Amino acid sequence: MPFLSTLRSVLRTPFKGEELDRELDEELQSYLDLLIEEKTHAGLDHAEARRQALIEIGGAEQVKAGVREARHGAALDMLMHDIRFTLRTLRKSPGFAAVVVFTLAIGIGANTALFSTIKAMLLSQLPYQEPDRLVASGKTYEGRYAGPVSRLDFFDFRRLSRSFDGFCVLSSTNRVTMTGGERAEAVGAVYTTWDLFPTLGVAPIRGRYFMEGEEALDGANVALISHDLWQRRFGGSDDAIGKPLRLDGMSYEVVGVMPAGFSFLYEADLWILIDRSCPIDADRDSHSLWAVGRLKDGVSLEQAQVDVDAVAKVLEEEYPDTNKAKGLRLFELHDFMVGHVRPSLNLLILTTVLLLLISCSNVAGLLLARGQQRVSEMAMRSALGASRGRLVRQLVTETMILTLVAGLIGIVVAFFFHNLLLRLLPLGDPGVPVPSIDGAVLVFALVISVVTGLIVGIVPALRGTSADVWRKLGSSTRTSESIGGTRLRTLMVVVQVALSVVLLIGCGLLIRSMVKLASVNLGFDTENVIGCTYAIQADDYSTTQERVDLYASLIEEIRALPGVTNAAAVTKLPIASRGTDWPIWLASQPRPEPRDSNMALMRAVTPGYFPTIGIPLLRGRDFAETDVEGTAPAVIISEAVARDLFPDQNPLGQLVKLGWFDFAFEVVGVVGNAQINGVRSNLKEAMYLPSTQFGPTFQWLVVRSEGDPNLLAEPIRSLAEAKDRNAVLGDPVTMTTLVERDLTGFRVVMLALGLLSFVALILTSVGLYGVLAYHVSQRSNEFGIRFAMGATPTEVIGLIMKKGLAMVSAGLVLGLIGAFMSSRLVQRLLFEVQPLDPVAYGAAAIFLGGTALAACLVPAWRAAGINPVTALRRQ
Amino acid sequence: MLENKTEILRGTLDMLILKTLSLAPMHGLGISRRIEQITDGVFQVKPGSLFPSLHRMEQEGWIRGKWGESENNRRAKYYEITSAGSARLGEEKQGWSRLVLTIGKVLEAS
Repeated sequence: MPFLSTLRSVLRTPFKGEELDRELDEELQSYLDLLIEEKTHAGLDHAEARRQALIEIGGAEQVKAGVREARHGAALDMLMHDIRFTLRTLRKSPGFAAVVVFTLAIGIGANTALFSTIKAMLLSQLPYQEPDRLVASGKTYEGRYAGPVSRLDFFDFRRLSRSFDGFCVLSSTNRVTMTGGERAEAVGAVYTTWDLFPTLGVAPIRGRYFMEGEEALDGANVALISHDLWQRRFGGSDDAIGKPLRLDGMSYEVVGVMPAGFSFLYEADLWILIDRSCPIDADRDSHSLWAVGRLKDGVSLEQAQVDVDAVAKVLEEEYPDTNKAKGLRLFELHDFMVGHVRPSLNLLILTTVLLLLISCSNVAGLLLARGQQRVSEMAMRSALGASRGRLVRQLVTETMILTLVAGLIGIVVAFFFHNLLLRLLPLGDPGVPVPSIDGAVLVFALVISVVTGLIVGIVPALRGTSADVWRKLGSSTRTSESIGGTRLRTLMVVVQVALSVVLLIGCGLLIRSMVKLASVNLGFDTENVIGCTYAIQADDYSTTQERVDLYASLIEEIRALPGVTNAAAVTKLPIASRGTDWPIWLASQPRPEPRDSNMALMRAVTPGYFPTIGIPLLRGRDFAETDVEGTAPAVIISEAVARDLFPDQNPLGQLVKLGWFDFAFEVVGVVGNAQINGVRSNLKEAMYLPSTQFGPTFQWLVVRSEGDPNLLAEPIRSLAEAKDRNAVLGDPVTMTTLVERDLTGFRVVMLALGLLSFVALILTSVGLYGVLAYHVSQRSNEFGIRFAMGATPTEVIGLIMKKGLAMVSAGLVLGLIGAFMSSRLVQRLLFEVQPLDPVAYGAAAIFLGGTALAACLVPAWRAAGINPVTALRRQ
Repeated sequence: MLENKTEILRGTLDMLILKTLSLAPMHGLGISRRIEQITDGVFQVKPGSLFPSLHRMEQEGWIRGKWGESENNRRAKYYEITSAGSARLGEEKQGWSRLVLTIGKVLEAS
C-alpha cells in the first residue's frame, strides 16, 4: 500500500517533526563519530581528525535542511512553519501589516462588490427559456436607432418575416383603474400580443395563455394576472379563473395567473391583449411598443436582421408617407435590457480596477522596502542552509497571509460598496437579476486575494533573496542605490501617480457636471409645491364637461384650504412623469416627415397651472374657464417652440397643427422654457393644451402652499376622496423631492468616484512618502558629508524635492495621457462638460501636485535635519 | 551532490544505495565508503546528498533503518533493504539498462 504509507508519513511529518529531527541529530552525530574514528585509525591525532571530519560533512544544518525538504509532507510541514513564523514576524511589525492589509482590503473589497454587479448584469442568464435566442427590437430612421415601434408596422413585420418562432409586442405599463372591489385601485396593465408568454417560454401557474384566435377578435376581453394581484384580489383562490375584472369601466375575464416574480421589461399587475381595435398606435406614425421575438433554431441575429430589412423595404414601398427610411433593428435581449447601465458600470469597473492596481503597486513597494531591510536576515538564513526556493516560498507565504486577511476584511468592505452600488445604478428592471453577494462572489474575493498575493509577493521575494543583493551587502554597507529594487519602487510610484491622476480627473469631470446640474435653471419654482395623481372613471361621467367640472370644483375647494396660495391640474407633472413628445408644425404647411418634425412635449393643463407651478407667462394669455369643448382650439407654447416655428414673427394668433389632430390650434400664449422632462433633459420644447377642452380622466393635482407643502397632503386627500368615491388618488410628492430624486443617481456616482479617488490619492501619497523616506535614510551619510562640507539645508531639501518631483511629474504626464485616452468612458455621464474639460484636468493636476509636494516635504525636512557627526559616526 | 568529479543524473544515487544495501545492511558512512570503493573513488557521496536520499527511501518503504552497534561498539543507524526496495532496485536496473542502450544507439547512429 504505497499510497497509504505515503499518507501516513505525510500525516506523521508535521506532528512528529521534532522527534524525527532529534533522531536525525543523533544519526549525524554517529556519522561524525565514525568518521573521526576512521581518521584516527589512519594515523591523525584526534583534533586534526575532528577538523577534517567536520569539513567533509559540510554544514550540519544544511544537511538537516536537505533531509527535511526530502521528506513527504515537507510542504505541509514547511507551510505550518512559515505561517507560524509569519505570524511571529508580523506581530513585531504591526504597522506594516496594518497598512498592507488595509490597502489591499479596499482594492479587493471594491472589486468584489463590483463583481457581484457584473455577475448579475452581464454574466447571468435571463430567467426565460433559452434566453440566447430572444431578441428585442426598435425602429430606425435612416439607419439610426429611434426607439419603439408602431403597432401597425409590427403586425406586418410579424406576418412577413420568416426568422422567428414567435414575434410579439408589448406596451409600457399603463395605469388603469380597477373597480368592483371595496375601493377603486390603480393597477399597471401591459398590452401585448397573444404569443408573448409562449415566446418567452413562461407558463401560467393557473389557467392558460391567451389564444391566437382571441387576438383577431375585436374586444376579446381576457386578462392574465400577476401572482401578486391574484393574492391581493382573489386571495390566491383557484376560483379566480373565469372571474370578471373591471378595468377603466370595461369588463375583462381572468384566464390565467402568471408565476410569482414574473415580469418582463415592465412591472405589471396584469396583461391584456392588443387587438386590432386597440387604441394604441392608431396609425403608422405613432410608435409606443417594443417588439420581442424568439429566433428560429439555427437562425443568427444577422440573418434575422437581413430578413426584417427586406420586410422594411416592402413596407417602405407600400406606405411611402409613413415608412420612408424607416427600419427595424434587432438586439440581443440581454444587451437591450442592461444597455442603459453600461456607462455607469464601465466607469466603475475602470475605477475599481485602477484602485486595485494602485493598492497592489503600493503594497509591492512596501514589500520591496521591507525586503531591503531584511537583506541581512535572508543572507543569514541562506548561510544556515535554507535554499533560495525555501526563502521565496516563505516570503510569498507571508504575503499570502496578508492578502488573505485583507480578502476577509475586503468582504466586509464589499458589503459596504455593494449597498452603495445598489443605490447607484439604475437597477431593478423587471427580469434583470438583482446583484447579491453570494458564494460565487465570495469565491471571486478569495481568488482575487490569492492572485493579488502572488502578483505583489513574487517580485519582492525574488529580489529580496537574490544572491547579488547579498554580495552587495558584503561589499559595502547601506549606500548602494540599486539594492533591492529602488528603481522598481520608483516606477511603482510613477504608476500610482498616473492612475490617481486618471481617477481625479474623472472625479473632477463629474463634480463639474454636478455643479452645472445644481445650477440648472429649471424654469419653474420647486419650493412649496406638492402634487398627486387623481384618476376618475370615464363611464361615471357622461360628458366631457362633467369631467372638467369635477376637476374644476375640486381645484376650487383645494384653493379654499388655509395655507394654499394656488392650485391646478396637469396631465404630467414636471420631472415626475415624462415623455409624450408630439410633432408640431405650421397649419399652413403640410405635415413634415417624422425625422424633420419639430417635437414638443404635450401637456394638458387647467387654467391657473402656470402661476401654480411657477412657469412665467411671457406673452399672450393663460387658459380660462371659457376655453371649453366647442370653442376655438387653443395652445400655449414654450419659448423654445416659438423660436423654432416663428423665429421672426409674433407667434400670438398663429395657427399650428400638432400630434394627430386634423384641425388647427391657435397660439394664445408663450411661456418660459422649463425642464419638465427631467433636470438633464435638453428637450425644452413644450406645448400646453387646455384640459378644459378635452376633459382627461387622469391628471396630477398641483398645489402651491404658503408654508410646508407636506402639511397639505392630508386635507387634499380627504377633499379628493369625498369628491368621488370611485376616484383613485396617488401618493403626494413635493417638487423639491422630485428634483432631488432626479439627481440622486448622478450624485451617488460622483460620491463613489470621489471616495475612490480620495483613497487612491492617499495611497499614492503614502507610496511616494515611503520611497522618499527610504531614499533619505539610504543617503543619510552622504548628506552628513555634504553638511560637513558646507551644504545648506535648503540645498539638501532641494535634492530630495527634485527626486520626488521627478517621480510626480512623470506620473502626472502619464496620467494626463491616460485620462485623455479613457475620456470616452465618462462622456455619456457628463452634463454640459466636455470630456477634455481643462478645468477638471488642471484641478486634478494641481490637487495631486499639492498632495505629492506635502508627501515629499516630510522626508526632505528630515534630510535637512541630519546631524553630520551622528550620520558619519554610524558609517 | 556527487563530488564534482562526475556529475550524474539525480535519482541514480538511489539506485546505487539500494544496490549497496542489497549486499548487506550498512550504516551511512559504510554506504559512502562502499560506493567510493566500488567506483574506484569516481563517486564520492557526501552527507548532504546521502541523508536526504536515505530518509526519502525510508519513507517510501524501500529501506528500513535500525539502531545497532558498529564493529567498534559505536551506536550507528543501520539500513537494510526491504522486499519493496528489492523490487524497486529491479525496476531501476531495467530502466538504467534501457537508458544506456538507447544513449548508446544514439551515439553510434550518425
